[in-house]
Amino acid sequence: MIQELVWATSLTLMAVLALVFIWVAFKARIELPDYGPAIASAYQKRTWLFGLAMVILIWANYRTLSHLPYVSSSAAQGSAATVQPVEVVGNQWSWTITPSNLKAGQTAEFHVTSTDVNHGFAVYDPDMRIVAQTQAMPGYINKLRYTFTKPGTYRVLCLEYCGVAHHQMAADITVAAR
Amino acid sequence: MTIQANEVTIRSDEGRSLISARAAVLAYLAVCGLVLLLMMLLGLTMRLAQAQWITVQPDFFYVVMTMHGAGMVGITGLAGAAVMWHFVRRYVPVSTAVFVTNLVFFLIGAAFILGAGFLGGFAGGWTFLFPLPAHSGALWSVNAAASYMIGLLIIGTGFLLLHLDVARGILSVYGGLASGLGVKQAFGLAPEKNGPPPAVTASTMVSIVNILGILVGAAVLVISLVNLYVPSFTFNALLAKNLIYFFGHVFINATIYMAVIAVYEILPVFTHRAWKANRAFYFAWVLSTLMVLTVYPHHLLMDFAMPTWALVAGQVISWLSGLPVLLVTAFGALTNVYRSGIKWNATAGLAFLGVAGWAIGVIPAIADGTIEINSVMHNTQWVPGHFHTYLLLGMVAMFLSFVTYIGTTGSSALASVAFWLYTIGGSVFVLAFLSGGAVSVPRRYAVHLPEWLPYDRVGSVGAALVIAGALIFVLGFLAKLPSVSASESDA
Ligand code: HEM
Ligand SMILES: [Cu+2]
Repeated sequence: MIQELVWATSLTLMAVLALVFIWVAFKARIELPDYGPAIASAYQKRTWLFGLAMVILIWANYRTLSHLPYVSSSAAQGSAATVQPVEVVGNQWSWTITPSNLKAGQTAEFHVTSTDVNHGFAVYDPDMRIVAQTQAMPGYINKLRYTFTKPGTYRVLCLEYCGVAHHQMAADITVAAR
Repeated sequence: MTIQANEVTIRSDEGRSLISARAAVLAYLAVCGLVLLLMMLLGLTMRLAQAQWITVQPDFFYVVMTMHGAGMVGITGLAGAAVMWHFVRRYVPVSTAVFVTNLVFFLIGAAFILGAGFLGGFAGGWTFLFPLPAHSGALWSVNAAASYMIGLLIIGTGFLLLHLDVARGILSVYGGLASGLGVKQAFGLAPEKNGPPPAVTASTMVSIVNILGILVGAAVLVISLVNLYVPSFTFNALLAKNLIYFFGHVFINATIYMAVIAVYEILPVFTHRAWKANRAFYFAWVLSTLMVLTVYPHHLLMDFAMPTWALVAGQVISWLSGLPVLLVTAFGALTNVYRSGIKWNATAGLAFLGVAGWAIGVIPAIADGTIEINSVMHNTQWVPGHFHTYLLLGMVAMFLSFVTYIGTTGSSALASVAFWLYTIGGSVFVLAFLSGGAVSVPRRYAVHLPEWLPYDRVGSVGAALVIAGALIFVLGFLAKLPSVSASESDA
């Protein structure tokens, strides 16, 4: 699950940075008589850090940009030959989803829009983890593809603040076993 | 040479202003401290409500959410302005009258906004995302929404005047905004040692981006206001969202770029090492200026109707924007402090914490700026998780460092207790948001599912500790205020 990976990686990097700050703070009480060489070597290290950061940056962007969720992108195009269109309309404060019964293994192509304000169409799996989302915006139809692998009841929650009943704007999508 | 010129101008300026520069800064700090505390209490109210430890009706929750968002963004803007103005005045002539005008406009605008929320029930979110303000579901009136937007316009006008005045001051000494920023130094076309001091570089950057940001914000506010009263006058929702997030992103980021001036000026006082503005420093600020203006599409990654190139650029620029923060500002603070023989107190500690909070907050921010990750993290509590990290543990920590520096209240035992309450409470508070986001807890939900309550409860405890720390700093400053304002020295 992507969320777990992101959380673990972020937490590790945040902890490493925090430890660097803590270490420098504690070491700082004892004065270094000759600061010049220390700073020179620090700046040398920074050049290396910069290089490392660029390598990570290019690698990570290359990897993640090949998985764009947009239907116009080639990754999504190739994902399924046949898609099941699903019309999704949000309005304050409910969803209309047709059809809302799907089969496992099917790739749904949600056509998402809104009749009033901005809403957020987010699909939660039966464990209540987000698996895909797009915005529902008046005047636009956003196309989102998702292939349902596990059967069960998926929950749709609104993820764009849309007024005082925003948290009640939910619906179900049932995915039957093949 | 310039110093002398400054002194002359500053004096002549004081003659025209009713209150002294020092009194004006103290007034800013008192207002900012108090409003910050009040807004924090609104934040705690939301956390306690989500934790189901108190009962808050959803319509009121969203009023509180709107007021907390707008109030915090506004007050951190004001707090940042106080820091920037106090220090940039050492290098360029600025008008005390304009500085005070901004505070007055802020208070008037705040009255409109608070009235809209607490009397009019306005709960359109601080980002007033078009066309929500006009679609309340009969819960707030058109006038309440208008009052909110007029309040923002008044506050924006004050800031616009202030930034124009600072820009004028910079122009009068450096001749151009590019020289104020240190563009020549950045590209090695002029010697580093002739470059502007860090405070001037930062102030130039903020003038540039905030003048643009506020103008765009004002335009979309006017459009929204017309739409409120003339519903047949509609506007493209996607374009409105672009304009709003351009303004919002620039304005909130500028608060950090103003507050970090306190770090540049205060840490060296404790470490006895000058904060060197070298070529990398200028280069980082030039890049940041460009990136802060172009990175905002990362707020629209789930708007599939956006041109894909803009969203891809949003992701790549998000990653790049982390580099100046981590490799220049964080690195600069670390090397400045490294084995300096510093005697820590709360003032120095908060400045150092501020840089740490900013740098650490960049990591979850970059994660969320990645399209593939944004697909499953957007508008979850991951988002308040990352921005409270660099605002609460970053920007506000820098500001509190400044408050204890001006109030000379950083060395007491109570201040170190407050420092640890703030640091530990703040860390618990932001980690609760981030871990909630990792399990898909939505942001901006008045009512949470039972399985989300543990995160909300841990977050509430963290919030209470942070507020206790902030309370000690602010009350300590207010108690010292009479003697501080009596002192003649205009440091
Ligand atoms: C003790 C300190 C603070 C507490 C307890 C607190 C609490 C909260 C809570 C509970 C939320 C709503 C989270 C959700 O969407 O579920 C929130 C949102 C927010 N907070 Fe804070 N906060 C604090 C400090 C700050 C600071 C220093 C800033 C600085 C700018 C800030 C800016 C915001 C903004 C902009 C939002 C978004 C509002 C929205 O979603 O419309 N907060 N805060
Ligand atoms: Cu909603």
